[in-house]
Amino acid sequence: MSEHQEIFPSHENLPDVMVGIRDLCFNYGSSQALKHINLELKQNKVTAFIGPSGCGKSTLLRCINRMNDEIPGTRVTQGSIRVEGVDIYDRSVDVVKLRRDVGMVFQKSNPFPRSIYENVAFGLRMRGEKNKVVLDQVVEESLKDSALWDEVKDRLQESALGLSGGQQQRLCIARTIAVKPLVVLMDEPCSALDPIATAKVEELIYNLKKDYTFVVVTHNMQQASRVSDETAFFFMGELIEFSETRRIFSNPKLKKTEDYISGRFG
Amino acid sequence: MPHIFHEFDNAIGDLKSHVLQMASLTRQNLERAVQALITRNIDLSRTVIGEDTEVDELEMKIDHLGMEILLRFHPVASDLRLVITSMKMAHNLERISDHAVNIAKRAKKLCKSGDPLETAMIEPLYTKAEHLLRDALLSYTDGNTDLGERLKNGDAELDKAHKEVIALLSSRLETAGSGAENLLHLIFVSRSIERIGDLAVNIGEDAVFMNEARDIRHEHRRNLGEEDRVVEKSEEG
Repeated sequence: MSEHQEIFPSHENLPDVMVGIRDLCFNYGSSQALKHINLELKQNKVTAFIGPSGCGKSTLLRCINRMNDEIPGTRVTQGSIRVEGVDIYDRSVDVVKLRRDVGMVFQKSNPFPRSIYENVAFGLRMRGEKNKVVLDQVVEESLKDSALWDEVKDRLQESALGLSGGQQQRLCIARTIAVKPLVVLMDEPCSALDPIATAKVEELIYNLKKDYTFVVVTHNMQQASRVSDETAFFFMGELIEFSETRRIFSNPKLKKTEDYISGRFG
Repeated sequence: MPHIFHEFDNAIGDLKSHVLQMASLTRQNLERAVQALITRNIDLSRTVIGEDTEVDELEMKIDHLGMEILLRFHPVASDLRLVITSMKMAHNLERISDHAVNIAKRAKKLCKSGDPLETAMIEPLYTKAEHLLRDALLSYTDGNTDLGERLKNGDAELDKAHKEVIALLSSRLETAGSGAENLLHLIFVSRSIERIGDLAVNIGEDAVFMNEARDIRHEHRRNLGEEDRVVEKSEEG
């Protein structure tokens, strides 16, 4: 168990916990990437994962929708992750459905080489939705929620690949929320975007958190402090400190956290 | 532990050294202003008034350096608290130096118009205020939060002594005749010294925040219940 265990009180039974991670250990082959992680992600909040490269933050993010299942030789060796109380590593869990409930936006925008409309409708079509009225309505709502509608409403049938990088990333967010997930995971969603596009994505996260629970992996400390409600700091596979973002960036409890966020690490 | 980006440490060091320079100059101005009053030294009064410009320039320089650090390095946690505290401290020091100038100006007038016996009452007040300022600065430079927290007690003593001086000077005003103006000068000097005590307390409170991220300002009021606050307010009114 982590030496910092005592500063993470258990909230798993509280109604506002969307994702409960309990004593989670994860291995890449024989290498332990996550060590006894205990963490509760609250509903309709934005939680930022920060820490140096290789600390395990992206690994943990990918555990929350079992994306690591696709990597040979990896496995959860201990512990559990519950989304809305359901153990997502239980054998009965449908992984495809899980990934609808826990959507993901990646560092590099990855629209399909199809029209803007088809990109957003993709998840619904996969679910078997064929009603054109329903599809039109969800595409419009999702694009509006992603603050992209005004920019693309007159060219929905054009290729998504013709959009700018920032627009493509917002399209990926629209595609993710079109299937109404519970949780949206974001792995460095703005690292390839200019400041204007970054601000638009951050504005989106802020506006959308009333409907979704967000987890954002970022190397940008200012971004973490701007968009997140709570922040988790990881180091060498361990969760070092988890607290309100304002506290982490104004008065962290642990020196290791302070050294990292203030650029004294190394 | 130093920052990985050494320029950040250099900028922080530069900011702190300017604050210390300003603190030293402010203390010197205050000491000289009171000396000018007590020893009837009109030249010393002029020196204090002249050196206030340097204090004003240092305040602007510290604000500029603080802004630059905020812009360039985006400080967080203890670094952020240090920058904010340093900028607030510069503001408080500038006001202390202004009070020193006020005292020096009154000293000049008193030098010209006579030497009331009551001037001697000012020195003990100054000693208390000087100790408060010294401890406030130590709480910033040495991270001594105990000193910072104890300043309120010392300030209460200064307030009490100030009230006694004011009561005495006021009681003599009616019979002072042509000396009344001199007594009024001393009343204003006493008032300046009392304000310096308050500003020293502000510096100490900010130093506690810088060192421990604890906001001890208005702690007394925050500890009172709503009813107590209403009673206290009506008593003040």
